[in-house]
This record gives sequence, C-alpha cells and structure tokens, in this order.
Amino acid sequence: MAQYRTQFRIIADVLSTARDHNTEGTGVGVTTLLRKGNMSYTRMSKLLAELVGSGLLLELNKDKISKYMISDKGIQFLAAYSSFEDFAQSFGLRL
Amino acid sequence: MVPQASMALIENILQFIGVFVSFSIAYVSYRGVRQTESSSLLRLATAFVFLGFGFLAEGLVGLGQILPSLPVSTTAVVVGGLLLETTGYFFLAFSHAVDVMISKKMGAALLVFPVISLSATQLANVLSILSFYFVLYGVVETIYSYARTRKPDTLLIALGLSLIGVGTFFQWLSLLYQYVGVLSLLQIILQEMGLLILFTPVLSFAVGGVKPNGTV
Repeated sequence: MAQYRTQFRIIADVLSTARDHNTEGTGVGVTTLLRKGNMSYTRMSKLLAELVGSGLLLELNKDKISKYMISDKGIQFLAAYSSFEDFAQSFGLRL
Repeated sequence: MVPQASMALIENILQFIGVFVSFSIAYVSYRGVRQTESSSLLRLATAFVFLGFGFLAEGLVGLGQILPSLPVSTTAVVVGGLLLETTGYFFLAFSHAVDVMISKKMGAALLVFPVISLSATQLANVLSILSFYFVLYGVVETIYSYARTRKPDTLLIALGLSLIGVGTFFQWLSLLYQYVGVLSLLQIILQEMGLLILFTPVLSFAVGGVKPNGTV
C-alpha cells in the first residue's frame, strides 16, 4: 500500500538527497532531486524556493544551472527530524 | 503482611511515578509535534496528557486516604481518573491508525459516555474493561509495527504496553473483588513497570539527543 508522505517527510527526503548526493561538493541538480523526491517539476520548484528562502538549502548558480546544497540549518533540521522519527518508531508510529 | 497504610503509601508513590513518566512522554511528543507537525505524535502527546491526569487523580485519592484533612471526593475523583485514563488509552491505541478528526470525534463521544445513567461502580467497571481492550489493540498494532520495522525499541514498547494491559485487567478484577487488596497493588505495580518501559524512548531521546550527522 502506498504511504502518505507528510510535508515534513517530503522536506526531509529532499534535504537528505541534497546531503547524500553532493559527493563532489558542487551541489545537486534538480533532476536528481526530482528523481529521488518523486514529485512533479512544478511542485519541486515551489518547494526548493521555499527551502532556499527558509535557509535549509543553499542555491549555487553556475553556467545558468542551479544546483542545491544542504545548509547547516538544514542539517540541524534533519537531525531533529531523525530523532523524533526514532522516538515515534519506538512507539510503532510513523511521523 | 504489609499493613494497609503502607500499601496505600506504596500505591500512591507509584501513581506519582506514573504521573511523571506520562507527562515526560507527553512533553517529548509535544516537542516533536512542534518540530515536525506530526499527527501521530500529537495523538501520542494527547494520550499521555490524559494518562498523566488520570494517574494524578488516582494519586490524589490515595493522598486523601493517607491525609484525611485533604478534602477529596473519592468516588467522583476515582471515576474521573478512570475516565481520563481510558481516554488516554483510547488515543494510545488508535494513534496507529485513526485519522485525527475521527479520534477527536470518538474521544468526545467517550467523554459524553458517562452521562448514561450507570452507578459509579458500574462505570468504573466499564471504563476498566474498555481500557483493557484499548491497550490490547495498542499491543497488537505495536507488534505489527515491530514485524515491519524490526526495531528492538518497538518490541520493548509492546512489552510495556502488555504489562499495562495486564495491569488494567487486574484493575478490573480489583473492582470486582474489592476485598482482595493485593489485586490493586498488583495492578499498580504492573502498570508502573509498563510505564517505566515506555519511558525508555524518552531516556534515549534525552541521552542521545539530536544525531549530529542528521541521518534520516
């Protein structure tokens, strides 16, 4: 059965992708985020703008191509999210 | 044999430990709600707020017995405490599956339920057995979650809930056979052991805190 993802779960997924796939330190492209995030381009663009605006992601522009990198604030968000996810899972719940 | 007064004192101390544990779990869950807006954590926080106040009410009754100067109407507070506990167990059991709106509606129905004309003893019996079924449901759901995630903490919580379930069953028996004083003590000991096991994730949370690498 498909699981409903909350907005916070989606944000955590996008931030995790930006962190885990930034192997060269030059950021992660929208295509990778779209593929891993499993959502439409329109929705992803809106979300990325929100995440950059709130300081969770950093936008790097090179040769007119935008790439994204997780910020310190984003790492902190993921850490907090992970702790509460562990806590909820202990009770057999999903966040 | 343990004297009646000592038994009442032990019961009372255990009730207040229950209050502390319940409110601690509610607090961590509430922090989780604020940071993640998770409806599951909201139901968990609600469950433990109700349970905390339920144990507090029962603790106050015990205090009233030890300190006669404390003006506590025993019957009303016992039934009120049981009602709060049952509501707490309801939210705990259904935090797995039921949508928040449905939980609220059914929770409200549970609060209206005592209006039906039952005597205080009958009401206490009904609430105890309802609590037992709610906890039983919670145990089944938690074991099901464990089968999915294979997380040892989840199995531990299932064990804690099972102890609470057996405790609520003893609570029901203690209402039926009030002359067997040890049933009530057994009930509290089992419930407290269960609650202390439920406290484990709070301890891990307090000790481990936030993971530095932010692994999700």
